[in-house]
Amino acid sequence: MNTPSLLCTRCRTPLGEALFNQPELVPCPACAAPLQVAVFPALFRPLRAGRDGELLLIEGESSCFYHPQKKAVVPCQGCGRFLCALCDCELNDQHFCPACLETGRTKGKIKALEKERMLYDSMALSLAVYPLLIFYFTLVTAPATLYIALRYWNAPRSIVHRTKIRLLAAFILSSLQIAGWVVLFWALATRFRTHG
Amino acid sequence: MAEREYERLTRSAARARFAVISAERCSLWLGKDHVLSIDTNGYRESYKRFYFRDIQAVIIRQTDYGKIAGLALGVVAGLLGLFAFLSGHAGHPVLAYIQGVVAALLAAILVLNLAGGPTCTCQLRTAVQVEELPSLGRLRRARRVLARLRPLIAQAQGELAPGEAPARSEPEQEGGSANPTTDGRVEGLAQRTDGATEGNPEEPPIITP
Repeated sequence: MNTPSLLCTRCRTPLGEALFNQPELVPCPACAAPLQVAVFPALFRPLRAGRDGELLLIEGESSCFYHPQKKAVVPCQGCGRFLCALCDCELNDQHFCPACLETGRTKGKIKALEKERMLYDSMALSLAVYPLLIFYFTLVTAPATLYIALRYWNAPRSIVHRTKIRLLAAFILSSLQIAGWVVLFWALATRFRTHG
Repeated sequence: MAEREYERLTRSAARARFAVISAERCSLWLGKDHVLSIDTNGYRESYKRFYFRDIQAVIIRQTDYGKIAGLALGVVAGLLGLFAFLSGHAGHPVLAYIQGVVAALLAAILVLNLAGGPTCTCQLRTAVQVEELPSLGRLRRARRVLARLRPLIAQAQGELAPGEAPARSEPEQEGGSANPTTDGRVEGLAQRTDGATEGNPEEPPIITP
């Protein structure tokens, strides 16, 4: 095999090199679907083979924290432990040990490994707006909204730029709803006191 | 004002093709050294990063979905318009009004569909995955985004000269090639690993720390 095969997204036929990087759409040789195939050098680059650590030959040489019999090649940028080539996990030109990589992923310390985020601002706003359709629900949802808005005021929002406007709107709406209920209960209480 | 880390490449689009109201929406953002794909259901976002140095290919295929949808919308809008006209003449102004409004709405959607241009599907391929990019559902937009990404990828990987592809792929015969499939499997890798364990006992085992 010369070229790693790229397949037509419709008929799954391997696409020939004649179709690569054409300025206009070209028909698939099998199904005639108009295709534009932009190919980059990475397609022809062999996959980098994994390295196993070099054994220690000289006594007193720095060794890997995880494999004491192997030569250290780089320190972990998270914890500073010495790592052999096998334990060295490279991420965006930074070197981490597997433990730091895992901690960074689970605790969100390494942004490039962050896979998901909760959007508490959208959650709070929805909780403030949707129950208005059946107003009685706001008796429960307004304090919940207020709690979410205050609890997650400084929590990370979307990874792309996003202001605090949703949280602010949720805060104001839920405060108004709570104020409304307080006024209602106060009015009812005053009415019962004066009439009864 | 602080510089924004990501720049929007596309507006969000539903993952499901025929979804009118879909929970999962996908959008593309341009980062310093990668393209960020965000899938969101409104309350949770999940991220996929495609680094410029890893992108192997982008495949755009023009589809007939836009034409079919346009035709269907046109037929329904036309029929409703005709019914509205007939109802008006038959002395049912309320019915004619309702049908007319629905026909106008469908006609507006048809115009928007036509204005968007031809539809397409777009796939982005790296060594280990093939990712469908539903937010690039219009050919014009897909090509615009590709034109935007091309120099950035070239900057990270270098240019591929014409006729260079076969020459570059020669050394790969030794290392084995990886053909990722849409479900995330890597065909070439699987074969190579199997070969190493079964046919080549001298090959060192993979040690995980």
